[in-house]
Amino acid sequence: MKNWDEWGCPIHRPEVWLRQADGENALYDPTSTSVHLLNDTALAIWNLCDGETRPEEMIDAICELTGAHPEIVSEDVERILMEFHKTHLVHWTAAQRSPADTAEPKVDS
Amino acid sequence: MDRNKPARILLADEHSLFREAVRVVLESQPDLQVVAEARDGAQAVAEAEALAPDLAILDVGLPNCDGLRATYLIRERVPNCRVMLLAPEEDDNLLIDALEAGASGYLTRGSPLGDLIDAARTVCNGETLIPRGMLGALLGRLIRRRRGEDEAVRKMLLLTKREREVLALLARGAGNDTIAQTLVISPQTARTHIQNVLGKLGVHSRLEAAAFVMQNGVLGELAGA
Repeated sequence: MKNWDEWGCPIHRPEVWLRQADGENALYDPTSTSVHLLNDTALAIWNLCDGETRPEEMIDAICELTGAHPEIVSEDVERILMEFHKTHLVHWTAAQRSPADTAEPKVDS
Repeated sequence: MDRNKPARILLADEHSLFREAVRVVLESQPDLQVVAEARDGAQAVAEAEALAPDLAILDVGLPNCDGLRATYLIRERVPNCRVMLLAPEEDDNLLIDALEAGASGYLTRGSPLGDLIDAARTVCNGETLIPRGMLGALLGRLIRRRRGEDEAVRKMLLLTKREREVLALLARGAGNDTIAQTLVISPQTARTHIQNVLGKLGVHSRLEAAAFVMQNGVLGELAGA
């Protein structure tokens, strides 16, 4: 399980747009001109990437709401957040990361 | 629940035509069986107690004990009976109330009948069913509520044992003299404790302090005070 303390809270990159139409959710990144389709769970996580909500809070809330096993929820949340991270849709409040860096964050001293 | 047998379902709705339609649809499935119907909340609770079904599907607007109250009573009296509420529309507040009452599923009345069948199976399998589009708003609310509770606990930890005793009395509407007499301290000391409690809780009046206790559900923590 990831140690989220080193990452802080995820926050949307301000230039990324969310478009919702016909039951589909899409993120458009004008920098890379890429489009990312989100399922409903990913959309819920995206909406919580506000720079104030820690991944642990997301995991706890999903567990409470769905009764799902914390290990499974942790894996799902981590996978979705890492996907956001690798595609540069979010940055993190506790870490300064280069665009190519997808491994461990460098925490501000 | 025995997975080799059909799930036994209680169906409660004020309108007999709706009940009949849903019954026909559910019973077209070999793994679902409607064992009882109810036209109001009180009858639904009584039928649940008598038959202990696997699942109760309740309309939220039931007369004579609404769906939320009936959910709470069924979950309290028949813990193995899971409850799914049918609501007129997607409503975040109603969904939270339903989950807090013990419901395991929430579906709008406008949903396709196929969704109702899937939802019944999902809930009978022990899962919780929440409309997908409501998940995000609900998670946000849940997290904000948790933060509020954490903050309340943090403030409570700032209080000394004596100050907790004072807060417990304040929450019950006690005045300075009553607090002083109850705790066998002088009225001036009681006033000092009250000022300290208000300061630590970050509230400006006794009324706000009492509201803090009620809103954050910390009366239990004060019970031993």
